[in-house]
Amino acid sequence: MVSPMLLIAAPLGLAFITPLLGLLSERLTRYVPAAAMAFNFTLGLLLLPRVLREPWIVETAGLRPPFSIHLVAGPLGVGLSLLIALVGLLVSIYAIGYVREGPVAKYHTLYLLLLVGATGMVLSADLFNLFVFFEILCISSYALVGYRGDRAGIESSAKYLVQGAIGSSLILLGIGFVYGLFGTLSMADIARNVDSVTPMKVFISMAFLITGFGVEAAVLPLNAWLPDAHSSAPSSISAILSGIAIKAGLYAVARVVFTIYGADTMPMLVLLVGILTLLVGEMSAFSQNNIKRLLAYSSIGQIGLIVFALGLASASGVQGALFLVVSHALAKALLFLSVGYMIYRTGSMEISSLYGMGRRMPVSSLCFTIGAFSLVGLPPFIGFAAKFTVIRAALAGAAPLLTALVAIVLLGTVVEGAYFFRIVQGLHFRPPPEGAAPEQTDQYEAPVSALVPICLLAAIIVAVGLYPGVLTKYLGPAAMDLLDKAAYIHHVLGV
Amino acid sequence: MSFLAGYVQYIGSFGLVLIGLYIVLVKTNLIKVILGINLIDTGVNLFLVSVGYIRMGTAPIFSQAEAAGREMVDPVPQALVLTAIVIGVSVVALALSVAIRLYEHYGTLNLCKIRELKW
Repeated sequence: MVSPMLLIAAPLGLAFITPLLGLLSERLTRYVPAAAMAFNFTLGLLLLPRVLREPWIVETAGLRPPFSIHLVAGPLGVGLSLLIALVGLLVSIYAIGYVREGPVAKYHTLYLLLLVGATGMVLSADLFNLFVFFEILCISSYALVGYRGDRAGIESSAKYLVQGAIGSSLILLGIGFVYGLFGTLSMADIARNVDSVTPMKVFISMAFLITGFGVEAAVLPLNAWLPDAHSSAPSSISAILSGIAIKAGLYAVARVVFTIYGADTMPMLVLLVGILTLLVGEMSAFSQNNIKRLLAYSSIGQIGLIVFALGLASASGVQGALFLVVSHALAKALLFLSVGYMIYRTGSMEISSLYGMGRRMPVSSLCFTIGAFSLVGLPPFIGFAAKFTVIRAALAGAAPLLTALVAIVLLGTVVEGAYFFRIVQGLHFRPPPEGAAPEQTDQYEAPVSALVPICLLAAIIVAVGLYPGVLTKYLGPAAMDLLDKAAYIHHVLGV
Repeated sequence: MSFLAGYVQYIGSFGLVLIGLYIVLVKTNLIKVILGINLIDTGVNLFLVSVGYIRMGTAPIFSQAEAAGREMVDPVPQALVLTAIVIGVSVVALALSVAIRLYEHYGTLNLCKIRELKW
C-alpha cells in the first residue's frame, strides 16, 4: 500500500519540475497541476477505507512519535485532502484554457505549491510543520493574487502580504510559547501534557496561535484583506482561495482549539464572533455592485456560519461545520469559475453588465444559478443539507439563547438570498445592457475546458444534495477525529 | 535591576516585536512597513532561540567526551529559527518585489495615497 506521504511529496516534486518543464515547452506545464491532483484524488480514495478503520501514522525519519516530524492520515486529514484534490483538479482543468497571459509556468508552479501547502496542513501532526505548510500556502497565494500585475492585484497583494506576515509572526510566537511550556512540538504530545500547566499559560499560547491562523481564516476583525485579494486575483485563483485557502486556516484553528487544547465547551464569544462575521459579510455583500467582491463578502458570511457551527463544540455541530466546509468549497468554486468567463467576455465586473447572460451563455448561467441556490440553502442542493445539519445541531440543546442566535443566522440567510436572487433574476430575465455584443450562441459561451469542471461541480452539488448519505457517513468519523482528543493521543503515541 | 538579568533576552525580543508592530501600524511608507515586518521576524527568532538557551551550556554533540557532564543547549529551537529565517527572507523578498510593482503603478509608496480598493 502506498504511503500517505505521497499526497504531499508527489505534487511538491511536480511543482518544482514545472519550471524546468516550462523551459522546454510552456504548453506542457498547463497539464501538470491537473495530473498531480488527479493522482492525489485517486490516492485519497484508495486510502480512505483504510484510514476510516484506523489512522495511519507516517514516521518520516524512522523514529516513533513524539520524536521527529510525523504525519497523521486520519479520516479528517484524508477527507479534507480529498476535497482539496477534487476542487484543485477541477480548477486546474479550468485553468488550462483560462490562464493564457503572463508567466504561465510560474502560475502553475505556485498553484501546485498552494495546494501542497493546504494538503500538508491537514495531514501534519507537528505544530511547526503545520506552520511551515501554512507559510507555503500563504506565500504562494500572496504571489498569485498579484499574478496579473495590474493596479488592483498588486495593491491587494501588498495588503494581504502585510497582514499575513504579521499573522505568521504571531503563530511563531505562539509556537515559541508552546515549546517553552511543553518542550515538544508533536501535537499529540502537547495535548497529553496540556493539563500540567496553569490555564493562564495555556491561554496566552492559544491566543497567539488562534489570532495568527485567524488572519488566514478571515474571522471578523482579521478579514480586511479578503475582499480585495479574492476579487483582484484571476478567477481560477479566487475559486481556490475562497474554496480551499480560508478553510485551511479554519482547520488549523479548529485543530489547535479542539485537539491540542481539548476545549469541550466554547465561550459565548466564539458564537458571537461567528454571528458577527456572518452578518457583516452578508450585509457588505448586499451593497456590492462588483460581482467578484460580492462573492468574496459572501465567503466571509459563510466563514462566520462555519465558526458558529464550530463554536457549538458538539459532535453534531462540528459535523455540520465540516459539511458546510465541503458545500461552500464546491459552491464557491463553481460560482467563481462560472463568473470567470462572463467577466472575460464582457470585460466588466459590474453586476449590471451580466444582465441577459442567460441567453448568451446558457450553460454558465445555469451552473451559476445552481451554485447560488446551493449557497443560499435551497432544498435540492448540497447547501440545504449542510445548513440544515448546522441548525439542527444548534437547536438540539433547546437553549433559548441559541434559538435566538439561530434566528439571526436565518436572517443572514435571507439577506444572502436577497442578493443572490437579484443576480439570478438579472442573468435570466433582464435584457442585456445597451451596446452589448449581439447573441452568438456558440462563440460566446465558455470553452469546453471551462465547461467540463463547471458542469462537474454543478453535478456534484446536485448529486450530494439529493443523496447526502454518501457524504454524511464520513463526516461522523471526521468530526470525532477533531474532537476526540484521547483517541488522537492514543493513535499517535500508542498510550 | 539584577532580577531582570535572567530575562533580558525575553525583554529584548519582545521589545523588537513591539517596535516592529509600531512601525507597521504607524508608518505610511511601504518600505518602512516591510522593515517593520523584518524587525518583528527578528524579535520572534530571538525569542525562539532564547526559549532553548541555557546559560553556559554547550552544543549538543555527544561525541565530545569532555562535554558529557555539562548542560547542553536545546538544538530544536535553533533548527526552528533556521527555517523561520528562510521563510522570513522569502516573505520580505516577495514584499519588496510587490513594492517595486506598486511604485510602477502608482508612482508613490505612500500607503495613504494608494487607496483604490475599499470596503
